Amino acid sequence: MNAIDGTVRQVKTDDTPPPSLLAIVLDTNPHAWAHLSSTLPLSSAIANLLVFINAHLASGNANEVAVIASHSRRAQWLYPTPKGPISHHPSSNGDANGDIEMNGVSHPNGSTTTTTPAKENANKYRPFSTVENAILSNLSNLLSSTTESDLASTPTTLIGGALSLALTHIAKSTLLHSPVDPLASDNPLSALADSESVARTQRIPLTSRILIISVSGDLANQYIPVMNSIFAAQRKRIPIDILKLAGDTVLLQQASDATGGVYMKPERPEGLLQYLMMAFLPDAVARRSLVMPSAGGVDFRAACFCHRKVVDIGYVCSVCLSIFCEPNLPGNLCLTCGSYLSLRAAQTATPALVARKKKKRKRVAGTDSATPSGTPAATTPMHP
Amino acid sequence: MVSVPAKFNKQDGMLKLVAEGARSVTWTPVSGSSPQVNVRIPEITNLQQTPATAAKASIRITAKDNYTFTFSSGNAREDQQLVTNTLRQWIEAAKASQSAGSPATPAANLDKGGGQSGAMAMARAIAGAAATTRSEEDTYDDAKLLKDVELQRSLLNSSPALRQRFDQALRDKPDTITIAQFATQFWGTRVHLLRSHAAEKAQGLGTYNVLSVVKPQHVDGSIKLNMTKEQIQLIFAQHPLVKRVYNENVPQIKEGEFWSRFFYSRLIKKLRGEKITDTDNLDPKLDKYLDFDDDDGQARQLTMPTVPRIIDIAGNEQNHSQKQGNRPDWTMQPNSYDKVPILRTLNRMSEKMMADVPPSDAHQHAPAGMDEETYKELQLRDLQRSEEDNRVVLKIKDQSQLFAAGQGLHTSSSAAAYAKRTPAEVLSTINHDMGKIMSARSKAGGVNLETVIGVEDDSSSEDEAKPRKVVRIGARSTRSAATSQIIKAIKQRHLHNDDHLAFHAAGSGEQAAKYGLSQELFDSLAMTHNTTVEFLHYFWSVYLSGDPDRAGEVGRLIETLDKSLDRIKAIADSAESERSAKIDLLMKENEAYAKRTGKRRRFDPTKVEGGAQAVNKMVGPLKRAIRSAKDQFEKSLHEAMAQTAALTSRTSEVVSNH
Repeated sequence: MNAIDGTVRQVKTDDTPPPSLLAIVLDTNPHAWAHLSSTLPLSSAIANLLVFINAHLASGNANEVAVIASHSRRAQWLYPTPKGPISHHPSSNGDANGDIEMNGVSHPNGSTTTTTPAKENANKYRPFSTVENAILSNLSNLLSSTTESDLASTPTTLIGGALSLALTHIAKSTLLHSPVDPLASDNPLSALADSESVARTQRIPLTSRILIISVSGDLANQYIPVMNSIFAAQRKRIPIDILKLAGDTVLLQQASDATGGVYMKPERPEGLLQYLMMAFLPDAVARRSLVMPSAGGVDFRAACFCHRKVVDIGYVCSVCLSIFCEPNLPGNLCLTCGSYLSLRAAQTATPALVARKKKKRKRVAGTDSATPSGTPAATTPMHP
Repeated sequence: MVSVPAKFNKQDGMLKLVAEGARSVTWTPVSGSSPQVNVRIPEITNLQQTPATAAKASIRITAKDNYTFTFSSGNAREDQQLVTNTLRQWIEAAKASQSAGSPATPAANLDKGGGQSGAMAMARAIAGAAATTRSEEDTYDDAKLLKDVELQRSLLNSSPALRQRFDQALRDKPDTITIAQFATQFWGTRVHLLRSHAAEKAQGLGTYNVLSVVKPQHVDGSIKLNMTKEQIQLIFAQHPLVKRVYNENVPQIKEGEFWSRFFYSRLIKKLRGEKITDTDNLDPKLDKYLDFDDDDGQARQLTMPTVPRIIDIAGNEQNHSQKQGNRPDWTMQPNSYDKVPILRTLNRMSEKMMADVPPSDAHQHAPAGMDEETYKELQLRDLQRSEEDNRVVLKIKDQSQLFAAGQGLHTSSSAAAYAKRTPAEVLSTINHDMGKIMSARSKAGGVNLETVIGVEDDSSSEDEAKPRKVVRIGARSTRSAATSQIIKAIKQRHLHNDDHLAFHAAGSGEQAAKYGLSQELFDSLAMTHNTTVEFLHYFWSVYLSGDPDRAGEVGRLIETLDKSLDRIKAIADSAESERSAKIDLLMKENEAYAKRTGKRRRFDPTKVEGGAQAVNKMVGPLKRAIRSAKDQFEKSLHEAMAQTAALTSRTSEVVSNH
């Protein structure tokens, strides 16, 4: 193939660590940031995050970054700026708008970020300022387009959508990075391109990770989409790191645990930069030789599908694996898939503590955290 | 002997199945004493019964005549089942003995087994694989395994860790729980272990090449031959020729002499596949069998049940070489025995042994003759209809439509926190905040990150881009707090991560050292933990059983859990004393060092790890589990008591009203 397209591909043995893509999901829930404004205002968090992003970009020539805002009603790209009709802001200058191709770092393209008039600082490393400009202008656009009715309708953020965006971006970048899947041995071209096969085997794939900076609770609402994203990330070996600045922890802790990421809930959010730099900077390759901080106890509880409650003991449909918080389903049919599902047998018997007298007491399922031997599933193991 | 009330020709009577002697079915009317009907089992040609749904339960036995019996007792249906089942077995047995053509065998079987059981055994054997597998499954039944004390004992003996755990739990169990109850509880959670142990024990040694194993030994000039009965049987089975020689010679020669002569004869050399030389002993009696073939079994082996297609030349006329005008093939003809006898003997032995062993490399339920892949390859797929899709369609309903999934501001877990601001305020706060950084950016042509993040170690200058709060963002104190939190998390992770690696590699010693405990303490803590978890298991299984008979047991288990807490405390105490001993030792060393060198080393007793604190930290979750069990119990007990009280008072009211 080399001869045909005329490009010269040099076979080089590369000892440098593989390029790493960091996808950051920034929870921009205005409620939560307004609440945090006394301790850690959004602006400072953004500034700290920018430093962190610069550190990431600086630690490898080919490193890439993607930033996604998980807002109250939608998930929005902050960097790279999406092209085309999705773009919320018309490009003011006549520069060719579009050729961003999500690879802004290695080939920074000025057109992506020049919508808000900002002078280029000659003293700033160009890739840094590109990212900075894009993020800030997109974020301010996002915030200015947020209406009060948006805020009134929901207290939380669309983390599920943002995670999906991050995963798709990672998948796309991975493909762009090594167009021919080295594992696809049944590729008909692999037999033809003899010389290239050497190069292909030596190409080091992109290592990706996702960092979620979360400030919202109430994520159980999106249990299913988030769980699906988690499993997708697990399959693709993409660690999901969590920096939980506020809110309850139920779902995201599982995300980091399942994917082998780092979970941090800062005691002092003011030291954000330190947390970012110390706990989240190493990429997947570096982590192999490091002991990463972990939070210890992981809350493995699931949210039920019927009321989105987080349950200690749940009931699971044997066909579609939906989780229910109570065994009394209408008509003994699974609410999700409609299969017959009788949960009577799964109910634990009423404990009888007074000998041989007719006592009827109702045991409320899910009031203890210990494991009754009958129901080993859906309980809460806690590490000390 | 089965005897059930049954009507025959509308007369009441007793239908009897006579197992003694010649088995037969008899019917005796209530009025009479001698049987009116007497059918011998081999004469029965047909047996019919009314279906289970019919109103009347009756059977019809067809021999020379038709006899219809209607069961008249209260549980006629069961009688019917019993009779037909027994009869069916008997008939099968009778038929089998007839077809085998050896009437002696079932008779012998009958005598030995004592009537019905012999017949049953026979029927089972005929029924073959199905029956045996069923009985095998039965031996792995949970209830049976739980009752099998011998099995449990042997499992305990084979696994020291389990034994230790069992003994410990047995020692700590409350006296009020009987050993039987305890054993049931203990094994109830470990049925799988019992099952695998039972399966393991059922494995036996296969056959082996006996002749090469048995070797006569010279002891004090005389020859000694050690052979077990099993070995002799095996020799007969493997070498039909030896059996024949033995049968024809043994009454004449004494048994011992026969074997010693046999093991020095040319015959055994031939059977072993060794070369016969002229110097070998001649034995007129045994040597005449030299030319006989030892291959009675070969015919059996040659007739394979199914010949794989791939080697089945006969199945493929086109490959018949002689039809193409070729000479008969001479390369693969059997040649004389004498060339390399040992190879032949060994091959034949292996074949014989393997013939009785089910193949381990093939799937037991695979189609006979060829494997699945070959079968698929041979299929003419083009000619086949496409199969109907038999997948079940899973209809997933949209969750969001089904339930009120939407969450308002007020149902939020952080509702209280968010309620302080109206959405408008929220927006203005955020926009105001963002406005600062944006304006700073447009002024300077980009954000001055160095100032914005606030990390200034020589900080005194006011930073207008950031509102100064009580604690400044990025202040040194916050950064060091963050560092210490992360370092703490890393340390904890380190402790846990090595769990997997070190626990297997280096044992508990290293683990204990990390916590600053001695190995013994650590081990006894682990043991206490194990037994406590065991009791927690019992507690929950009894507590949730809902069986009022076991109500007393629950209370006793709670006491046991209390005792477990005491045990943990005892360990914590000894850990504490261990730690203070360690501190004393270090102090003394320090003193000595100070005396020797005149310098004083800094010593901080709080830096010494271990002690009660370490123990309590480790058993924290366990304590929590115990507490939760106790709380649950007390709450339930309280409620139950209240209800009892209410109930009794109500009953007394009712009584007084009357």
